[in-house]
Amino acid sequence: MFRNASTRPNTTTPRSATTPRRAPTHRKERRSGHGTQAGPRPARPAGPLRRFLDMNLPYQLLTFAVFATGWELYARARGGLLLPGFTETVRATAGLLGEAELWRALYVSNQALVLGFALAVVVGVPLGIALGRFPLLERYADVHLNILLVTPMAALIPLLVMSVGVGTASRVVLVALFAVVMVIVNSRAGVRQVDPALIEMARSFGAGERTVWARILLPAALPAVMTGVRLGLGRAVTGMVLVELLMVSDGLGGLILTYRGLLKAPQLYGTIAVILAEALLLGAVAHWAERRLTRWTRPNTSRTRPARSQR
Amino acid sequence: MITIQGLSKSFTTRSGERVDALRDVSLDVRENEFLTVLGPSGCGKTTLLRAIAGLVPWDDGDIAVDGAPVRGPGPDRSMVFQNFALLPWATVLDNVAFGLRMRGVGRAERVERARSFIATVGLEGCEAKLPGELSGGMQQRVGIARALAVRPRVLLMDEPFGAVDEQTRRLLQEELLALWEEHRMTVVFITHSMEEAVLLGDRVALMSARPGRIAEIVPVRLPRPRSRDAGGVARSGEYAEITAYLWERLRDMHAEHRPDRAHRPDKVAS
Repeated sequence: MFRNASTRPNTTTPRSATTPRRAPTHRKERRSGHGTQAGPRPARPAGPLRRFLDMNLPYQLLTFAVFATGWELYARARGGLLLPGFTETVRATAGLLGEAELWRALYVSNQALVLGFALAVVVGVPLGIALGRFPLLERYADVHLNILLVTPMAALIPLLVMSVGVGTASRVVLVALFAVVMVIVNSRAGVRQVDPALIEMARSFGAGERTVWARILLPAALPAVMTGVRLGLGRAVTGMVLVELLMVSDGLGGLILTYRGLLKAPQLYGTIAVILAEALLLGAVAHWAERRLTRWTRPNTSRTRPARSQR
Repeated sequence: MITIQGLSKSFTTRSGERVDALRDVSLDVRENEFLTVLGPSGCGKTTLLRAIAGLVPWDDGDIAVDGAPVRGPGPDRSMVFQNFALLPWATVLDNVAFGLRMRGVGRAERVERARSFIATVGLEGCEAKLPGELSGGMQQRVGIARALAVRPRVLLMDEPFGAVDEQTRRLLQEELLALWEEHRMTVVFITHSMEEAVLLGDRVALMSARPGRIAEIVPVRLPRPRSRDAGGVARSGEYAEITAYLWERLRDMHAEHRPDRAHRPDKVAS
């Protein structure tokens, strides 16, 4: 994960002091003094350029630039009102950010998202953990969970709206339904994966059931639970937009429908860009939180430096 | 010190087969004795140890430590595990202090005692590291420090050096011997290595498989302190003798489970 050089704290060579080109003799001295424990070294000590090229960001930016150029060229060649180019979309997005309409939609949508996602976590994590720990419970729930896992959730939207109504409640429930499966399945897997030797170890030192839960099961399951929460968040965003698009014309989905009706293509694209940006932002936040809480799962990548030449 | 009488335990496998893990095992472990338990895999030696630890129930028989019947895990016993069983999210210090924490020792004393036992096993400076950053040998040193930190009367070791490489194993064996010379206590040490059993043990309890039984108790009358160095007991004829004898017995046990090899050894090669 931490492949970029800037995030490797315990490097054995003082990398900030080195430059790409060095006299060969000097280089040799350096390597013979340090390079035994971290595996093979690259032929040249890494400089700023090398470090930049080691990151994923430049490559991602490059593919995005290719995509944006292609989009722009296609839009210009085809022309027409319904297909704004990249630059026009950027302008429209910037314009949208200054409008109250967008912020109101964001507020409405996110209300459902926050409530629904919170509901999914509050229900899903304990349920998943219980399912993973108590096989009997699993017998009752397994088939239903599988159904929930394979059902195209969008198909449930009409059903839900008819039974719960078109208010905030149905949007919240739908967001929760979208997210909860991921949370349950991953939490369950997390508890199942706990090394039984750890539980036995705790018992051998006199730990009771409650202590085993607090000191062994929950911390051990945390990485998988966090993965479930992160994946669930992505599904929650999907659910949020879908329900607004398909049934309850409100929030960001409602905004998309409105702009489509008015043939305001740039604004339509802008709204989608805002949704994308939010999804990316939330994803990044969830990923960050996950990494923060589960640092121990990768002690070798976060504290010592991987050998680059092996990758 | 530890009295085991008529201990039996059987369980049913998934295929419905009934297996006698232990049948009528009787064994006395003396005060401050280093007893090694040797046997083929599946002979129930780990089950025996876990029963002494109070981690598994048994069907019949009695186990008592200092006359007090074993009903569950107790502060007089602590265990060292084959695969270390360290908490991967906790630092070395917290791992070593874990047993103390379970026993309700206050924070300040916990840290102090954990630090001193970390020093005992030679891991000073590693207190803040995570187990994942340590080699297998170092991880097991943490496991040993954790077990010693609660100051048990009996140390139960379940193939503690089975998961490390041969060179590390030899180092750990020598360290354990030195440690035991200094802090004498009763040790029950499970192993499948004849050399390990003889080098470490005052007596070797040889177990046979299916049903798991004590086949023989072999005394090891080698002087201590023991070592592999020149002039050490590991180079003596008696050491080789006992090791060879144990292997003969074990080989016979293996053969019992493969009738074709036992009766027609000439056909083995084909």
